[in-house]
Parts: sequence; structure tokens; C-alpha cells
Amino acid sequence: MIKSLRVATFLALKSIIKGNVGVIVLTIFMLILVTMNLLFVPGLINGANVSMNSILVRTYSGDIIIGPEGDKTVINHVGDLITRIESIDGVVAASARNDINAYIEFEDNRVSRVVTAIDPAREKEVFEVSRSLIEGKYLDTRDRDQILLGIQVAGADREDIELYSSSLRHVHAGDKVVVTYSNGLEKQYTVKGIFDTGFIQTDLQAFVTELEFNSVMPNMYDKASSIRVKLEEGADPQRVIERIASMGNNLEFQTWEETAGLVESMTESFILINQILNVVNYLVAGITVFIVTYVDVVNRRRQIGIQRAIGIKSHSITVSYLIRALFYAIVGLIIGILFFKYVVIPVEARHPFEFPFGPAYLITQPSYTARMAFILLVVSLTAAFIPVWRVMRIKILDAIWG
Amino acid sequence: MLGVKNLTKIYGLGEVQVRALDGVSFTVATGDMVCIMGKSGSGKSTLLRQLGLLDRPSSGEIILDDKVVTELPDSARATLRLQYLGYVFQEYALLAELTAHENVYLPGMMLGERGIDFRKRAKELLELVGLGRRIRHYPKELSGGEQQRVAIARALINSPSVIFADEPCANLDSISSKRVMETLVGLNQEMKVTIIFVSHDPDDKKYARGLIVLSDGKIVTEGS
Repeated sequence: MIKSLRVATFLALKSIIKGNVGVIVLTIFMLILVTMNLLFVPGLINGANVSMNSILVRTYSGDIIIGPEGDKTVINHVGDLITRIESIDGVVAASARNDINAYIEFEDNRVSRVVTAIDPAREKEVFEVSRSLIEGKYLDTRDRDQILLGIQVAGADREDIELYSSSLRHVHAGDKVVVTYSNGLEKQYTVKGIFDTGFIQTDLQAFVTELEFNSVMPNMYDKASSIRVKLEEGADPQRVIERIASMGNNLEFQTWEETAGLVESMTESFILINQILNVVNYLVAGITVFIVTYVDVVNRRRQIGIQRAIGIKSHSITVSYLIRALFYAIVGLIIGILFFKYVVIPVEARHPFEFPFGPAYLITQPSYTARMAFILLVVSLTAAFIPVWRVMRIKILDAIWG
Repeated sequence: MLGVKNLTKIYGLGEVQVRALDGVSFTVATGDMVCIMGKSGSGKSTLLRQLGLLDRPSSGEIILDDKVVTELPDSARATLRLQYLGYVFQEYALLAELTAHENVYLPGMMLGERGIDFRKRAKELLELVGLGRRIRHYPKELSGGEQQRVAIARALINSPSVIFADEPCANLDSISSKRVMETLVGLNQEMKVTIIFVSHDPDDKKYARGLIVLSDGKIVTEGS
């Protein structure tokens, strides 16, 4: 076995050293491209995924969403509950929200949206919407008759936004809009600010202060339709949920992942696209190695016949071709991975791909890279084995003299 | 001892069958040097390829040192070729990517017997055939005669019992031919290697102690 491997390695090395440099370089170049392609698409999907999840948590859901249990529509004694939640280890802040359906009108445009009542001071601790203002200012706790609109609600004459046609189109900070709540109350508000987080779900929101909301719905004092909780990085959401649940307020809990329906469906689509591209890439790698090996064994059929005639075992010759295929694949993988890590990722980090939800940075996971490398090696070995195996079945004399 | 009993090789060309060897039987004693002659198409090379275990006969037996080797599986035949037989092809059949030295020691690597330095032995064999100064040359850098002598050195690397040489001088000029044949004779006399060679040149009979003449796949003359 060792002798066979030694002979196989010797033959492989000699054929690489004395082989056609152009063919070797081109084969490795193809495998470098395949490797980078196999890294790029999932890297981009990972980056986009992380970016999407991040913006979802930072602007829309928080880490944990607490709602009333079962058929109940509100959480009671919110002030006390938030104080107790914020005392739990791992919790950064919590913010109560009240949602009410409403129509918002400006000039001839009217849209149906949910208006959310917030405590601006707490919201700033849980979410980053206040950092995404493109016009005007963020709400203050004492604000009355003021409303904060997402760009997808206001429109702000930005015809490039995704939902411009279903927005109020021309609203800017300082304009006055009329809000008709689902309880029939109609009220005029001054638009204090417009925010654009890049995440559509967030930018479809409209906010008023709790103080204002209490004047619209006086019976909702110290009640909320949900509480959003921000956790410290690395904190275990399940442990925090268990602690809050043990407070006995009859609540329901969701982690941000459970609310990420839109993000999840996008991620699943990305993963499917990635899998299709990966299959194509592995096929390209396999076919490349197959063609190179096939052409090589056809050209060297006589040489292979001579090797067999002088007593070199068939499996040594076969293994020598597999070693060559491994050489191509390993060199392609190493150069591809290094180039990707030290050139492509830094360059992309300087000029990231911009998505509607923000920039996406290439992220590679070592486990994926290892699995990809393993599959590529197996594909290369299989692709090389087939033509060699076919030639080995030819009689020695036919191999030498045709 | 090498023996052949009723060896027959039939090639099928469509519905036509050609009997390249037709009931050939003979024995060659250890250390002998035998020349196989005959006209073109008489079955000389076919016989040598059967003896060298490069091909399988249609029927009959080949006996090597009292063992019938005809029906052995391919892997066992490869081992026999490696351990006991040396084969010199008409067209030299060297591996183009290997130097003369590497061409010679490659079968030794495969055999890999302990205590034997095949690289050193390959060098010695190349010196024996007069190519001690050309060991690092690739086949394309050698003349036909030199390539054939490299092939002979390669056939000797595993100290074979029998060397088969298929028209070893067919592509050589007269001076190179003489040198190759003298090399084979020297090996036979000094190393007591059994040598069976095929030739179409009647002058080559003088190098052999035994003669087999084939015609239409049958032995028509056998003797000294």
C-alpha cells in the first residue's frame, strides 16, 4: 500500500512538474473561480441576513416582544412591569407600545396605517429609529399634537422609495396631517419628523407620544398592546423570558426570530438560490477536472499502457491521477480562499453592497468553508476517477498500440 | 524454465477469425538465449506478448518455473511481470516525463524490496549499458539506440528471470543494433538471465543459442 502510494505520488509529481504549464494554470484558475463563487454567494447571503436581522431588531421588533395572553388585547400595570423587566440581568431597556388603526390624510391622499403610541425616552433606549431621521426632529415625551412618520407613510416627494404610490407622497416635516382613529376621533397633527431606517416594515410606522395617546384613548392609561425588550449582547432570550413569565402577569412572548416572517421568507429564497448556484459551481468544478483528466488520460493512454506493462499496478496509476486532481483542487481552494479572505472581503467592506435594509458585508463561516472544501475535493476526485477507471479497463496492448 | 503447451491465439476480425498462434509448444531452459524469427505476420510478436503476460492466449498454457500462469488474474500477472519478467519493446516505450534514471528505477519503486537501493541499482544498470553519463537525460534527448539501452536497463531493475525483447533493433542503425544485441548477450552470459528475443534479421541468429521459427502461427523450426 505504501509502495503503491509512493509510486502514485512520484508519477503525479512528475506529471505536474513536466506537464503542460498552461493546462495546469488554467485548471487551477478555474477552480479558484469556482471556490470564490462558492464563497461569494453564501457570504453575501449571510451578510444580507445579518444586516436584515440587525435592522429588524434595532428598529422594529427589539429582542423580545411581550404581548397579552390569549384573547386579551392589552397588558395591564405596564409601568410597574417595565420597571421589573428592566431589573432582570441581561435586559438593557423595555418600551411599552399601544397600537391603534387609523387613516392618515394629507391633501388628496389618504392611507390606512397603524399609529403607535410610545414613550420617546424609552424608545430611544430600545430602538434606533431616532437616529434615522431625514427631516425634522424626534418626539419628546411631553409632545402633544405632533406625529412622527416613516418615509413609506410620508412619501416626502421621494419617488424612489418602494411604496411611494401608496404613501401620502408629499408630506414633509412641519406639514399638518389629519388622523382619523378607529374610535372615530379625528385630529390634526403636525409632522415633527420623518425617519428612514431602510427597513420597510419600520418605515411604514407612525408614532405619537403616550401623552397624546392618552387623550385619544383615556381608558388605556398604564396599559399597552405590547412591550419591546432590548437585551445586552450575548444575553439568553429564553432565560429572560422565563424570568418575566415567572412574574405572573399572564403574558405571551416572542423572540425577534419568531416575528421575522418577511426576513425569514427572503432568507429562505436566498438559501434556495444559493443551493442552486452551488450545484452549478460543483458541476463546473467536476466537469473541469473531468475534461482535464479525460484529455490527459487519452493523450497518455500509451504511457499508461507502458506503465502497466512494466508492472506498475493499476491502482497506483489511478491514485496518481487522483493525487493530481487533489493537487488542482487544493491549490485552487487555498488560493481561492486566501484571495477571498484577504482581497475580496476587504474590498467589499470598503464598498459594501447596498440593500433596501442597509449595507451587506460578506461574511464567511468556517464550518461552511470547510464543508465546501470537502465537497469540492470529493467532486474533483470523483471527476478524475471516472476517465482513469475507463482507461484502466482497456487491455494493456490496446492501450499501448491502440 | 519457461514452457509453452499448445498455445493458441485467435483474433476476431468481425466474422473472420485469424489464428495468430496455432498450437505452439516449446520449452526454454533457464539461462538460455532464444531467438524467435519468422516473416511478418507469422506470430512472433504475438507469441512474445503472450509469454510476457501482456496478453491472454485463447487456449493453451504458459508455464513459468513449474507454475501455470495463463489463467492468473490481472493483478497477479502484474506482480509476475514486476518480479520475474522484463520486457523490451520494439519502440523503446520509455516514459517521456521521466529521466533515463527515473525510467529505470520506477519498477523498482513499485517492487520496493527492503535493503535494495533501486536508485543506486538503476545508476549501475545504466552504467552497465553504457549510459552512465546520460542518467539525467529525458528520452527525447537520447538517440534510438540509447533509449533502447535504457529500456534494457529498466527490464533488468528487478533482476528478472526472463527478459523478452520484441525486435529490439528494429528501429536502430547497424552500429546501435550491434551494441544493443551485444548488451543482451552480455547480460545473458554474465547475469545468467534467460533472454527470448524476436527478430526479423537472419544475422541476429548468431547471438542466440536457441532458435524458433514461426510461420502462420506454427513452429516450423526449433533448435539450436
